[in-house]
Amino acid sequence: MASEGAPIETKEWILDPETEYRFELDPGTSLAVKLIRGNAEVFGAELAANKPYLFGSECKAAIFTWRGCTIQMSQPSTEYVAEETPMSAYANLHLAFEQMRVRALRNLRGSPVPDYEREKSTDPPRALILGPENSGKTTVCKILINYAVRAGQGWSPLLINTDTSEGGWAAPGALSAAPVHSPLPTCSPASPLGAAATSAPTALSSNALLPIAYWYGHAESKRNPLLMERIIRNLGENINDKYQVDVEGRAAGLIVDTPSSFAAGPGSSDDRHRLIKACVDAFKINAILVVGHEKLNVEMQRAYGSALTVVKIPKSGGVVELDHLYRERVHNYQLHTYMYGQIIPPPAGISSASLGGETLSDLVLSPSSTIINFGDLSIFRIGAETMAPSSALPIGAARAVSETQAVPIDPAQPGSGLLNAVLAVLAPPANTDESERYDEEILDLPISGFIIVTNLDIPHRKMTILAPNQGSVIGRTAVVGSFEWQE
Amino acid sequence: MYQQQYGPPSFPQQPAFAPYPYYQQPAPPPPVPVYHPDPTTFRRDYSNQLAELKVNSRPIIQNLSMIAQEFSRFADIVAQCLEAHIRRVPQWMKLPAFYLLDAISKNVYEPYARHFAAFVVPLFLETYGQVDEATRSKMEEMLITWRSGSPTNKELFGVAAQIAIERGVWGDGASSNNTNGFHSGSGQISKSQVLTELEFTLNQKERAVQANPYDSTSQGHIGILHQLRKLVEAGVSQEELQQILNRLRSLVRAAAPAPTPAPSPPAPVAAPASWSPQPTYPIQAPFPPAAPPMYPFPTYNNVKTETPPSVLPSASGSGLSAQSSILNLLSTLQKVVTENGTPLGAGAPNQEDVSKPELPPDLERESSRNYRDAILAQDVKLTSADITRKRPGVVEFLYDRLAAQCRQCGIRFPDTTFGKKRMEDHLDMHFKQNRKANQNIGRGHSRSWFVGVEDWVHDLSLDVKGKGREDGARPMNAKAAAAAEVAKRDADLRAQYVVVPPGEEAKPVSCPICKEPFKSEFLEDDEDWVWRNAVLKDDRVYHATCHADAANGLALRLRSELAHLRSHSGTPESAAGPARVMTPPSGLKISEALRSVSLSPSPESKLVGTKRKVDDTESSVSGEGDGTPRLKKAALAPQATPE
Repeated sequence: MASEGAPIETKEWILDPETEYRFELDPGTSLAVKLIRGNAEVFGAELAANKPYLFGSECKAAIFTWRGCTIQMSQPSTEYVAEETPMSAYANLHLAFEQMRVRALRNLRGSPVPDYEREKSTDPPRALILGPENSGKTTVCKILINYAVRAGQGWSPLLINTDTSEGGWAAPGALSAAPVHSPLPTCSPASPLGAAATSAPTALSSNALLPIAYWYGHAESKRNPLLMERIIRNLGENINDKYQVDVEGRAAGLIVDTPSSFAAGPGSSDDRHRLIKACVDAFKINAILVVGHEKLNVEMQRAYGSALTVVKIPKSGGVVELDHLYRERVHNYQLHTYMYGQIIPPPAGISSASLGGETLSDLVLSPSSTIINFGDLSIFRIGAETMAPSSALPIGAARAVSETQAVPIDPAQPGSGLLNAVLAVLAPPANTDESERYDEEILDLPISGFIIVTNLDIPHRKMTILAPNQGSVIGRTAVVGSFEWQE
Repeated sequence: MYQQQYGPPSFPQQPAFAPYPYYQQPAPPPPVPVYHPDPTTFRRDYSNQLAELKVNSRPIIQNLSMIAQEFSRFADIVAQCLEAHIRRVPQWMKLPAFYLLDAISKNVYEPYARHFAAFVVPLFLETYGQVDEATRSKMEEMLITWRSGSPTNKELFGVAAQIAIERGVWGDGASSNNTNGFHSGSGQISKSQVLTELEFTLNQKERAVQANPYDSTSQGHIGILHQLRKLVEAGVSQEELQQILNRLRSLVRAAAPAPTPAPSPPAPVAAPASWSPQPTYPIQAPFPPAAPPMYPFPTYNNVKTETPPSVLPSASGSGLSAQSSILNLLSTLQKVVTENGTPLGAGAPNQEDVSKPELPPDLERESSRNYRDAILAQDVKLTSADITRKRPGVVEFLYDRLAAQCRQCGIRFPDTTFGKKRMEDHLDMHFKQNRKANQNIGRGHSRSWFVGVEDWVHDLSLDVKGKGREDGARPMNAKAAAAAEVAKRDADLRAQYVVVPPGEEAKPVSCPICKEPFKSEFLEDDEDWVWRNAVLKDDRVYHATCHADAANGLALRLRSELAHLRSHSGTPESAAGPARVMTPPSGLKISEALRSVSLSPSPESKLVGTKRKVDDTESSVSGEGDGTPRLKKAALAPQATPE
């Protein structure tokens, strides 16, 4: 395995059963891990033996083993082995969900039910994960999803991301949902839930997911709760439609990841509860999992305990406190990955490795830079640029611009704020019948993709946009949020 | 609209790399192998892997040929290992190794066929001399496929090697490789040779029928071939053998140019567990995203029931003399060969006999029943207290029950018949992806647009349960395939060019649609200046992509016109949601729309206008082509652009 040049510093770790090796990477470093012996998994996705797996972009992850293993790796910035993990609780959750799935499938197929089983619900698991910041919500979602797809039963559960500070498969600022068919790899915080489809051939369908995504446009849910609620309800309707078409697919259930602002936060908790309620209604949630937060657990028990199951689940000791700057950098990684693909330089001495199960060359993407006229694209902002919460307005005062009003933006106006802005290009309305169009339709259209305004040429009324592919955006509608990106 | 292009147009076979001006890939050059061995390590590893090839196991053969493909720079080592392996192993292990040699030569071809050609003649003949009768006939079958095994339908290892082996196997009269036919008269033709070739032709035809059930010509052939086989088995004269052989070869040759009917549907393939040599490697440059099925063909040693001779209508028990019936058959055969397309239903065997062995659906049900029982036997409740109780039960479900693991990506499958089939599909998928990836090198990929509501809702991954699905981990995802198709089409469009008229190299010419000037470049091969991404239509040069977009726009417009007409003609689309309204894009529908649009003088019909616009230099047709309909409501109206 040795190549020419400097000797590679690798280290072997022997892990005892049910322990995990945790690592954190500094900016600009990467890590290659190889499983030498035994079985190991990263957040529920099993590693193949003798394949170097790459991690980068300040990835913080853990390699867990149920029965012990030996792993070999280069040197990360921080590393340690933890003996206490919440994995057995998560595994039990998975088993409980599997029971719900097989009962649901049996019911859908009309198979005979033994007497002692007749009382049991035939609802598939539809779980909402709540928890404060840095509690590992996304990791729990990922483990539960990965275990479900690994069951060998052909489950394709839906994973729904409502955490707009993270962005899921799209870019930050979006809410999205996608069916998952194969384990979600972990290699970089830029694609925490697997990657959206590209034109490249990929071996794992988790690297070519087909999400449906809506544009919220901001990292914080409190910025425009009305809009977020509307999007959540739209997603719920889409999922409902999907279940009508794919009846057996319903048995796999769904898992909803939420932003920490659903769990706690400053200010009025009305918005919070409203958004949780929206999720519970829209996705027909039947289990709320609260990650390590006693108060929230009690709160949820009181509000929903009679109608659905509320379970408090332990929080992993491995979660890392993340600061604002880190999240900012992750946004950059995500947008870069959206446009250019997943590019992680392997550590010295490793000349080739696989990234989330794919060869590196397949993950390099070429976006397209195009100059278009101002008139080629209709650009809007939803609500006013800065908006005080309704409760902060003087009594009796009305807004000049409502939260869900689409305000057109003229790129020719100075201060349009478009330079370097991330724009979501909306899908064309499916309904071409003019009589069925309505004013707020723009709020209900999913995203086709993202473009970045990289240059504004006001005198010539032209702008340069960076688009993910060569498809034309002329005549489309785009919505700007509060995200910016510069290479 | 100024389209800047990153990554060159398609040079599919070139191992060169696209320079991405925006980002240089930091990693050393792909094709990225999974590990990076030196020659010694590679030799050791490959021999070790080879040693596992003891039976005719498709996964192993595929894995080994995949490795060979990835490491074609070590082709000499692979060749040496393989030769040594075949010489060393006991005779019952030789055939699988030959199948590997066959697979590598046909699928990778360059440089392997060259390397193997150096030793294939003595190795084949030597082995042929050692093995038993059954293996011999398998080797003969393989040998026949080598006649047209190269990507250009030529002899896989060259004419000389092919003739040498065939002479060694069947004697002097046998060699067939003169393209003009074969030497007549000299030497004896053995019955077994004719039977082998018959069998081979028959298999080829059966495959053709499988790929295209409406191929009545092949169906006709099959019937006749079955009858011929019966007659030959019964014994015929040397002269007749000669005639049959002649005819067979012309039949095979006639079929050769189109080995696989083009868009073979992603057939409900239950891939066999073992390898069988495939007659010709269907090369189709540039590779279609839905590559033709690779090895899903029935094998000779499969348990599949060949059409039993007794089913045959005429030949069985008829009082005809063998002599006359052979002549009859031959003339029929000839007729079928010449009158390509004459349906000969009489001789066609029952199609169901030919269809591939499908896994009984019960198997899937049974496996899910077993799983259900095991899962329900677990004592777990969804409560805070219960889930924190220690319980190691999950390991059984995540590991023990799934004993077979893919070495490439770690995904596991149950160690049952059903699971094995799934794993084979999964390995097939890897194989195809790898090959596709190698062919795509230098083409440049990009992120696809997200799907719309309609497509997302109807993404029929309900096939996940294994019904008719081709690959294990990746449900036949219509959308992903479509995305790949679009990307490929785009690359193809961009590869088109128009030769710059002499003397006009310096003259700026712009695309009438996007109004961007063409960039001329010098094409080394043709020694001409050309405009890339260009097509010539009605004496005007367009960007190929713009033109295609515009043409697409027309189709889309027609489709929306259709929807329009429908809703105006009293079929109100209910408020079931906007998602349902879009008419599915089907050729039929478009032609329907065309008809209705031209027949009904609908005031909304913009057909004429659109058409004009395609030529109109003023409009941005491509934008409309993307399906954004005319906007009426203020909220969506594009802003006026006083230019």
